[in-house]
Amino acid sequence: MTVSHTLVIWCLTIGALIIAGWRAWYRFRPLLHAQPLNRTDQPWVRLKGVFGDVGLHRRLLKFSYSGVLHLMIFISFLVLFTAIIQAFGSGLFPGFSLEPIGGETWIALLQEIFAGVMFLGVGMAVWQRYVKKPERFKGSKKSDATIIYVLIIAIVVTMLFEFGSQIAFKGGQYNQFRPISSFIASILVNFGVIDSIAQTTAVFFYWAHVLAILAFLIYIPGSKHRHMFTVMPNIFFRPLTPKGALPAPPVDLVEEGKSKTVEKFEDFTWKDLFDTLSCTECGRCQHVCPAHASGSPLSPKTLIMDLRDGLLTDEGLMDAAYSLPIAGGTIKEETLWSCTTCRACMEVCPVHIEHVPKIVQLRRSLVERGEIEPMLQTTLTSFQSHGNSFGKPAKQRARWTKGLSFKIKDARKQAVDILWFVGDFASFDPRVQKLTLALGELLHKAGVDFGILFDGEHNSGNDVRRTGDEGLFEMLAHHNINELDSCEFNRILTSDPHTLNALGSEYRSLGANYKVVHYSQFLWELVNEGKLKIKNTSSNTVTYHDPCYLGRYNGGFDSPRNLITSLGYQLHDMGRCRENSFCCGAGGGRIWMDDSGMEERPSENRIKEALALGDVDQFIVACPKDVVMYNAAVQTLGMEEKIIVRDLTELVTAAIDDSP
Amino acid sequence: MKVVVILRLNPVLTDELELTEDESDIDREWIGLEINQFDDQSLEQAILLKESSDAHVTAIAIKDEGVERLLKTALAKGVDQALQISLEEIEDRSSRALAPMYAAAIRELQPDVVIVGVLSTDDLFGELAPYIAADLGWSQASAISDFRIEADKIIVRQEYSGGRAALLEMATPAVVGLQTATQPPRYVAGSKLRDLLKVEIPNLSIDVAPNLEKVGSTELALPDLSEGATMFEGDTDAIAEQIHSLLQEKGFAS
Ligand code: SF4
Ligand code: SF4
Repeated sequence: MTVSHTLVIWCLTIGALIIAGWRAWYRFRPLLHAQPLNRTDQPWVRLKGVFGDVGLHRRLLKFSYSGVLHLMIFISFLVLFTAIIQAFGSGLFPGFSLEPIGGETWIALLQEIFAGVMFLGVGMAVWQRYVKKPERFKGSKKSDATIIYVLIIAIVVTMLFEFGSQIAFKGGQYNQFRPISSFIASILVNFGVIDSIAQTTAVFFYWAHVLAILAFLIYIPGSKHRHMFTVMPNIFFRPLTPKGALPAPPVDLVEEGKSKTVEKFEDFTWKDLFDTLSCTECGRCQHVCPAHASGSPLSPKTLIMDLRDGLLTDEGLMDAAYSLPIAGGTIKEETLWSCTTCRACMEVCPVHIEHVPKIVQLRRSLVERGEIEPMLQTTLTSFQSHGNSFGKPAKQRARWTKGLSFKIKDARKQAVDILWFVGDFASFDPRVQKLTLALGELLHKAGVDFGILFDGEHNSGNDVRRTGDEGLFEMLAHHNINELDSCEFNRILTSDPHTLNALGSEYRSLGANYKVVHYSQFLWELVNEGKLKIKNTSSNTVTYHDPCYLGRYNGGFDSPRNLITSLGYQLHDMGRCRENSFCCGAGGGRIWMDDSGMEERPSENRIKEALALGDVDQFIVACPKDVVMYNAAVQTLGMEEKIIVRDLTELVTAAIDDSP
Repeated sequence: MKVVVILRLNPVLTDELELTEDESDIDREWIGLEINQFDDQSLEQAILLKESSDAHVTAIAIKDEGVERLLKTALAKGVDQALQISLEEIEDRSSRALAPMYAAAIRELQPDVVIVGVLSTDDLFGELAPYIAADLGWSQASAISDFRIEADKIIVRQEYSGGRAALLEMATPAVVGLQTATQPPRYVAGSKLRDLLKVEIPNLSIDVAPNLEKVGSTELALPDLSEGATMFEGDTDAIAEQIHSLLQEKGFAS
């Protein structure tokens, strides 16, 4: 290396760093003006997550082909980084070499091996993107991926040719630590690349290598591949609050103590904006999204991409057709109303991007402006005047109790062990009322000391909050908290998983801490403790659907399964089960909106999945809304002969029946 | 321009209705109440007038269960003032009985225009608007579907059968029976209602007795059952079963 070489490489490197830094700064500077958010608590837990999802590729490997190829490229990158250090180290600081620590022996061998692994990984990626073309890539920017493949290949090829030329210069003998380069050298020698020609060739490929790396560096900040740098912080700063607790609306920085809605990008938190810049466009979220599968305009991937492109347009870095306000402009209203808040996207995203909070924030903006899905408007108005979605007077809430064989306690007047928070569907929907009565009888038989709130109960507001009506949610929640605080009880029992989530996770931010249990957990307790005696068992094969707000949100995967198998049933889980469960389509207020435009309702998609198992004729559910959704789906599909929808309560009732 | 809009609560008609013991009214004990749909249109129209022409809007309603909430919703939507007319016991809720009370309240408020929903379930012939106008001696038009303010006049669009309509220019003061607002009623976010939770809606006391002598309902009855109608009985499943087999019989279902 001559002095002029050193000078040139210094200039190039500093120049490239400045350009790359400038390109990054323009993209990341909006974060400085965004809403504040503290995400530094529990640093060890945060680091552990980073290790699991970056180091071990935990989430990525859920998609095995892509996970493996990504792991191959990832490790190769780490190993080949030593070659980059070598190239730049020697260029910037003449005399620098990795040789003393094995740069020409074991490190060299690793570089050679992983150059091969890199080719294989990129080859698999290319095969996947251009030949297999999974649906989840639809909407991702293909050209960006292509450019990156080319740059990676260029970096590795130039490296190998540089080493090959060096070997050719030294006479072309086989170097056991550089098998691929030796092979290249032998070809070069054959073509007469020896001596000084080989030396020049080596210099040429050295510069080509350096330039390819610098091009990569400059390209990265504007590409989805900046995730190389953003993924670790993005995972580190992931939310550690309960999964079912939505963030509050943004605070008004001008009028203190007031909240506002998201209108401009800076009304999002810095983490929300960081999310959009970290998205890899991998489409895993799109693959699992029930709204996308039903043909709705929502894809969580394009939602994040559109927010990002909107942000970049706002910064003058793109010229896309995006307009403010964000809700209704950058992101269309129908897109926002399509989400069931099922959380499948967040659970699968390898980068831990938070889609649902953004969707809810934007729905809040629509609600505040009074722009709301027409059918939803009717329901929310009903909540405002009656406290339930059925438009029924509060007094009618406990009418179903007339069908009980005993007198149920009024928890507002007497202390009880278990306060049963029944919920809207279980109280008012005639199809579910039967199950509510059955559950009441089971509790009575088991000798549980329980009572209800009668007309004191209002809807818990879980889904109201998710439709974006924060004020209405607070009114419902405060009403319930006032009622609950005037009662004496040990635990709350809920029929509805959505209620479980609201009382357990959402009310905490309003200062209320309750021990809440879902009926699937409670019935399992009663059976397990022998308070409900199983008399008849069944050996039928059944499948079970995990409700989003019981499973994915609150981890209630095992109790329903234990209960089912303890009654003798063979449980045949569907492919999409537990945290990968597929939403019925009712959540997030969707149950109150129009679904007539869908190509295929998520509930129908799900029933087909159950039927495809081949050996089940019962579809077991643990949520009042599922009873409604899946019965409708079975009817629409005309599959009443093939499969029946049964609630856990029915299974237990049948199992303890002592009539002959 | 000053606008008064009258709001009324109606029973939710999709619910089962029960009659009082003397069968002259519906039993309001178990019934759900909601804003009269036409009054909701009137409220929206009044807010639109406020937005477009700077009208000052007052919402009034007769004090009763649920009315406080109704008026808070009106405030949340943006009316400038909400008042509940307090009466002693109200037995007869017919428009004929209530018209003088509304008229008295309106005299007190001295608006240029009063907007009333054209019909309601207890104002089946749209008689409230003309009754009030007659009491006040003001101009009146009903079945209105559009509304503009021009200087001290109002321009309204009146709907006729057969899809015809006329634009009428009315002198104020006037009483208008509104059918549809210029745009559908917008949703009012819970956050606006929440901010009004602690607000008290003031009373407007008036010194007029309801008009009880002239008209009153003596009996409410279901329509006569003529030959050929089949009444299904039983719970939901049983009824569905019967409907299904009837449809099958007639060849509409398999
Ligand atoms: S929460 Fe569910 S419906 Fe909403 S975007 Fe994510 S996957 Fe789709
Ligand atoms: S949001 Fe996550 S899962 Fe979806 S495309 Fe981006 S990185 Fe992939």
